[in-house]
Amino acid sequence: MTTETADIQPAISCRNVWQVFGQGAKQKLADALASTGGDSDAAARILRDQGLIPAVQDATFDVHPGELFVIMGLSGSGKSTIVRCISQLLQATGGEILIEGENLVDASKARLIELRRRKLGMVFQHFGLFPHMTVTENVAFPLKMQGQNKADRTKRALEVIDLVGLKGREDSFPREMSGGQRQRVGIARSLAVNPDIWFLDEPFSALDPLIRRQLQDEFINIQATLQKSIVFITHDIAEALKIADRIAIMRDGKIVQIGTPTEIVLKPVDDYVAEFSKDVVKGRHAKVASVMRASTADDKTPDDPGLRQNMTLEAALAKCISLYDPVPVWGDDGKMIGVVDPAALAAALQAEEA
Amino acid sequence: MMADSDMPASRGGIALSTGAIAALIALITGAICIALEPVAPWLVKFPDAWTLPAAEWIGAGLSWFLDLIKPAMRGISALLAYPMAWANTLFTGMPWPLLIGLVTAVGWFIGGFWMAALGFVGLGFVLSTGYWLEGMATLALVAVSVPLALLSGGLIGILANEFPRFKSAIQTVLDVMQTVPTFAYLTPLLFLFGFGPVVGLIASAIYAAPPMARNVILGLERVESDIKEAAIMSGGTRLQQLFLIEIPSAKTQIMVGVNQCLMAALSMVIIAAVIGGFKDIGWEVLLTMRKAYFGPSLMAGMVIVIFAMIIDRYSSKLASDRVRYSLRVAVAIAMTGVILSVATWRSLPDPSEIALLDPVSNWLDTGLTAFLKDNGAGLDGLKNGAMFYGLLPLKIGLDGAVLPFTWGFAWTKGMSVALYAVAAAVGLLLAMRGRATLGITLVILVGIVETGVAELPWPFVLVGAGAIGWVSGGRKLAIFAVVMLALILFSGLWERAMLSLYMSGASVLTCAVVGGAIGLLCAVSPLAWRFVLPICDMLQTIPLFVFLIPVLMFFQIGEFSAFLAICLYAIVPMIRYTRHGLINTPDEMIEAAVSSGATEWQTMVEVRAPYAAPTILLGLNQTILYAFAMLVIAALIGTTGLGQSIYGALAQADVGLGIASGAAMAILALVADRLVQGFAEERRQALGL
Repeated sequence: MTTETADIQPAISCRNVWQVFGQGAKQKLADALASTGGDSDAAARILRDQGLIPAVQDATFDVHPGELFVIMGLSGSGKSTIVRCISQLLQATGGEILIEGENLVDASKARLIELRRRKLGMVFQHFGLFPHMTVTENVAFPLKMQGQNKADRTKRALEVIDLVGLKGREDSFPREMSGGQRQRVGIARSLAVNPDIWFLDEPFSALDPLIRRQLQDEFINIQATLQKSIVFITHDIAEALKIADRIAIMRDGKIVQIGTPTEIVLKPVDDYVAEFSKDVVKGRHAKVASVMRASTADDKTPDDPGLRQNMTLEAALAKCISLYDPVPVWGDDGKMIGVVDPAALAAALQAEEA
Repeated sequence: MMADSDMPASRGGIALSTGAIAALIALITGAICIALEPVAPWLVKFPDAWTLPAAEWIGAGLSWFLDLIKPAMRGISALLAYPMAWANTLFTGMPWPLLIGLVTAVGWFIGGFWMAALGFVGLGFVLSTGYWLEGMATLALVAVSVPLALLSGGLIGILANEFPRFKSAIQTVLDVMQTVPTFAYLTPLLFLFGFGPVVGLIASAIYAAPPMARNVILGLERVESDIKEAAIMSGGTRLQQLFLIEIPSAKTQIMVGVNQCLMAALSMVIIAAVIGGFKDIGWEVLLTMRKAYFGPSLMAGMVIVIFAMIIDRYSSKLASDRVRYSLRVAVAIAMTGVILSVATWRSLPDPSEIALLDPVSNWLDTGLTAFLKDNGAGLDGLKNGAMFYGLLPLKIGLDGAVLPFTWGFAWTKGMSVALYAVAAAVGLLLAMRGRATLGITLVILVGIVETGVAELPWPFVLVGAGAIGWVSGGRKLAIFAVVMLALILFSGLWERAMLSLYMSGASVLTCAVVGGAIGLLCAVSPLAWRFVLPICDMLQTIPLFVFLIPVLMFFQIGEFSAFLAICLYAIVPMIRYTRHGLINTPDEMIEAAVSSGATEWQTMVEVRAPYAAPTILLGLNQTILYAFAMLVIAALIGTTGLGQSIYGALAQADVGLGIASGAAMAILALVADRLVQGFAEERRQALGL
């Protein structure tokens, strides 16, 4: 399912990760896997029959350096659990979790604390701000844990507070701020130690739609400059499609599909995934590249409306609404990389209506 | 709301529901016992020969253990004597303008003018009663016991939080510690530490630690999981997470614990005065009460109330409000106190000599005497009426209480038969109309009134408690209730326990009816609540002991006074919870009812009351626990039963009897608590709350 690039070491790598809740989960999981010969669905069924709850079932995926990896699913699908496994807020019941090649499942407590102080940052759905600290103190807290002195950590905190646009609110307390502002503080705090790996657990879900969109845009800008490796949890397909490099869709603890936004929209593996993208206007997310074909000698391309490979279908269709012959598609480097039949464009958009 | 024995009726409905079967079993047991009494008297009165000498065993076992740890405890006692002596010197030696200045300054800083005024006027009053030194002695005890309680309570709370495996065990222990009556602690402590103020100190520290521990546990539990996780992800060690994040985040709840801890310590320090040995304000109240000097006793009581109010308002203000007032004004006030103290160092009058309020106290005394002389007949009439027509029949039954010189006629067998016949007929009628549970319960209630709570056959009480347990919480609860009560039965304390049950039952019933009605009134009329709220606040702030003063003034020593004191104290939760439950129905439900065309009254009966039922049941539960707590204190002015045993054990330093009676009391309270909570839980689940 994953699109592996073997030569680069992934930032995060999950290998057959299980999280099972209940008494004696570890042993029972091992027994169930042994008795089914490794068939994860059958093993999960056995565990459920025993009254255990397999919240994450055999999850395997990689997150590449600098990639924004979104995990999406309905509530109860295990998406928050899996990010807690990776960040080691929960101890995974089975499997391996590697961060830059280091297996966290075996890591000592001291090593985990060290990793959290230097490498990992996390943003929470309900912000998790410390109510007894000012904005600056909140943001500087991870630096304080690192052992930085007050002057240094305040300086760094002010930088990040400026980055998230909260200049002037440094001495406010969380209770004096709006939801959107609070989450900016949460983001600033998670960035204070300049982590390589950034976890965001439904960071914008508790905000109202206008603020949500604003923060999403700012988040995309921040990520464009910082280039962190990100695991982003959401239940909102529009948000996922908007920000993701790749999306994993979860259902009942299982990852059912991993793919780029376009793949998720245009080639859902099953009805469950299709149901998610039903309300999405496909023309706005699918790119021209997805309906492009290689040019052949027969193709006459009398018209050139100037299609580019990463243009959305909607924009492309608007340009060739009255054309019938194939049109050329230009790559980022200005060379022609293929052609698109206007009929195919229309057909791709039509497919969603059915 | 009715007594718990009527609870099955509220489940009502179809013939032979669980409730009806349970009620029927209890009824048949009772009927058999009464019918067979002439042949087998052991069915009614548990034979002494069958009891085990539990008190002696406990006494012997405990004495051995206590003797073992006595040297260590005496050591602690000697050690504690130092901080106590220091605190005592500090408080009694401090010039009074200084203390008043400091308290007023703190009041200003945390609560502005009104808080400062409370401190200033309150302490000014204390000074002018002439009880300053006694009051300071009490405060010195509190000042030493509270840090002990806070520290140990906080530690217990943190440990429970860190080791979830022990949490439920710790919480059970905390429950028991708070249910065992305060006097019961005193006997073994007396044995361990000898007479003297240290006993009061330790007892109050033990009594005040559980509320602190409970609130620490609750506070830490309630810290949002996101906050806890953020602390982990910031790379804090466990200790850093706990002390830098979780405890500060739980501050509000922990401050509630500090407030409750302070109040409990004060209350206990005053109760501990009954063992004497220390000239503090509690002792003063006891002394003047015993001599029937009501003026001075009321004054001393007021001093306690004022301390309680100042401590309560100050500490709850600290818990709730972040606004701080001008530090400069506060410092200025404090400095004024210092300057006054220095300036008048030599000429400062001895606070004991100040007797500004003596005329008031004398006037109160004479006024009261005159009032009692003029209205004595009326008060006696009220008292006798309540006794003869209410309390006595409940205690020893109509067959014992209806006598020619009270009721005007004698109770005959024929009347018994007629009463039962009427009850049976009404019950049958109800059963035929589909209210079987109600019908059977009615017959049972009539039976109880006819026999008297104190003379109920023991098999009936066991089976009845089991039946209620079965209905309210299933088989486990039924077994729990029966086994616990059987423990009392075999300990030989049964008769005394039944007397206690009668006293608390009568008070709880009264509180439920009167308190429920007041709560309803307050729910309907905000105006009424404006009057009732400060009274409730006041009643909950006053240390238990002080309740005895006014009832004693008007009704002398006796069961009726004890009954009134218990009611005064135990009625508050019933009022509060009833109102709270009725008021807090979700708006949507009210709107739905109104748009269906319901009148105000219909909304109350059909929507608000059912929704409020779990809350009201919790209020009843609190009322029961309050009543048991007060029952022991009320033993000072005349109840029979377990409270009297505990008090008596204290006087004779009989550890076995003290502990056994205390445990029996705790068992009664625990069983009642679980039964009512079972109903509350069942209602909550039925409503999907």
